[in-house]
Amino acid sequence: MINAMEPSYELFDHTADMGVRVWAETLSGLIKPAAEGLYATIGELAAGVDATHLHFDQSGEDRAVLLRDFLSHLLLLFERDHRRLTDLDDVVFSDCRLMVDAATGLVDAERSVFHREVKAVTYHELEIREIAGGFEATFIVDI
Amino acid sequence: MPSEQKYTGPMERIDANRWRIPKSYKPGMLVDGIIYADDRLIEAITSDKSPEQVANVACLPGIVRASLAMPDIHWGYGFCIGGVAATDPEQGGVISPGGVGYDINCGVRLIRTNLVYKDVRDEIGKLVNTLFDTVPCGVGKGGVIKFSKADLRKLMNDGSAYVVKRGYGWDSDVEATEAHGRIDGADPETLSDTALDRGKDQCGTLGSGNHFLEVQVVEKVDDPKVAAAMGLIEGNITVMIHSGSRGLGYQVCEDALKELQHVPGKYGISLPDKQLVCAPVHSYEGQKYLKAMRAAANFAWCNRQIMTHLAREAFHDVFGVPAERLGMNLVYDVAHNIAKMEPYDVDGKTCQLCVHRKGATRAFPAGHPELPERYRHIGQPVLVPGDMGRASYVLVGLQGSMEQTFGSSCHGAGRRMSRGAAIRASKGRNIKRELAERGIVARARGRTGLEEEQPDAYKDVVQVVDVLHNAGISRRVAKLRPVGVIKG
Repeated sequence: MINAMEPSYELFDHTADMGVRVWAETLSGLIKPAAEGLYATIGELAAGVDATHLHFDQSGEDRAVLLRDFLSHLLLLFERDHRRLTDLDDVVFSDCRLMVDAATGLVDAERSVFHREVKAVTYHELEIREIAGGFEATFIVDI
Repeated sequence: MPSEQKYTGPMERIDANRWRIPKSYKPGMLVDGIIYADDRLIEAITSDKSPEQVANVACLPGIVRASLAMPDIHWGYGFCIGGVAATDPEQGGVISPGGVGYDINCGVRLIRTNLVYKDVRDEIGKLVNTLFDTVPCGVGKGGVIKFSKADLRKLMNDGSAYVVKRGYGWDSDVEATEAHGRIDGADPETLSDTALDRGKDQCGTLGSGNHFLEVQVVEKVDDPKVAAAMGLIEGNITVMIHSGSRGLGYQVCEDALKELQHVPGKYGISLPDKQLVCAPVHSYEGQKYLKAMRAAANFAWCNRQIMTHLAREAFHDVFGVPAERLGMNLVYDVAHNIAKMEPYDVDGKTCQLCVHRKGATRAFPAGHPELPERYRHIGQPVLVPGDMGRASYVLVGLQGSMEQTFGSSCHGAGRRMSRGAAIRASKGRNIKRELAERGIVARARGRTGLEEEQPDAYKDVVQVVDVLHNAGISRRVAKLRPVGVIKG
């Protein structure tokens, strides 16, 4: 078990797809390892130096769905614009709102290693739960 | 597989090829679950939670007869992969995007050739390299043909015929494609700009994951008469392409799942899994999804059509003979992730049902009016890719499919190992070399593609097709052995 105080992620098996489990001390702390976990399902994505600001702000009734929506947005940015998250400036994550200000950089294809295409971040077994010392999020990506 | 991920519910044997999950298993089930499997396959099937998903699908409003699963069933999200569910719109039946999947109209097509194995044996490396360079594949690889958003809308409205008219194929290709490569009722205007953005440079690209292009040899013909009608001759070379609607289709599903989150509540529908969100077929929301799904399905047929054109060009380059003279005719193209309105007899009455096929192939029998003239006397070709090391199959649809499975058969071998397990099982091995030792030249764009898709990751396709052969759903016609593999 990874120390819940230290934001981190692990990939886990799901027959044809892949699962990502994320830990952090706070809800807001889940964002970075969740993004890293998502990118790890695609490959090892190196970002270039150019930076573009990303502002994501969404309200809802389910914090796990808010996280999923943010990750879906990151997936879209990767596929459509070839960009990945590089730095988080500000995160507000509550039970009913997720706001992220961040920087993204162009993925440097030469320095990156691609494993597989991710079609989507699914709702299947999607969950954020409180654990001792923090939070654990789980999501499954469709390969 | 950890024990908590195993199915522990009831599983009653019906006969040698079928198992039942009784509707008494859990509250909300409206019909039984029925899984097609023999004794060997059912053990693997119950090692994950896919039977639980069969039971969940049995809770969908308006579901008719049973929630069905083919023998290549494995754990999906919402619906299992290999699932078939028909709902009756007149009885409140629903459409569920999860019953189609993210990759709308993911499907398979098979192209025959006049070439025999000895013609390609010494050229197989060159052929695989040329195909690899000609057919875009892998993460983020855009297509060689770009479409404006206006063109994309026309393409999604007209289907395969649109790209054939632009020179990417032959008129006979359209005839040999399910639904002539176009489902009526598509409305490209229902797609988001994001979906169009994702699709605009992806038409004519393979993608990655389990998508592939294979050069195969017809190893064994089980039904010479039917094989001959399909142009399949023992020893001849075929090309199989497996891909779908790419990012455009994924976004259509993504948009629909988001829009439908609160719709079940609006119609008083209670669901056991969020990924099963749905809307009554007759509702505004249901119709909107169907129109978008059909547009994405038409895009997918264009995608496979353009790759067919590119594969023909690659063969021309390698063998110096035009594809027409190589006899590279399309045998058939079938969707295996789709929902279609189809007529079935229900309690002596003909009903238009909404048939969800999520990892299941249409398998219409001889005489069905939707089949092209050339196949009406034999039945529909059913294309079943196996794995990159052993075999794939061509089957033909039988009357039993209409009586038992809403005209459906399996869509592949079905995974038995997770991707992670397949990578772990590859440690210290060289899958590419192992394939080469079997006479198969493989190239993959992704670093882990060959490991994740290695033959052992899949069930034995022979076992899978045997179940449906024995159940009278679809009959074996020909076995295809891979000799060249392109993975994304």
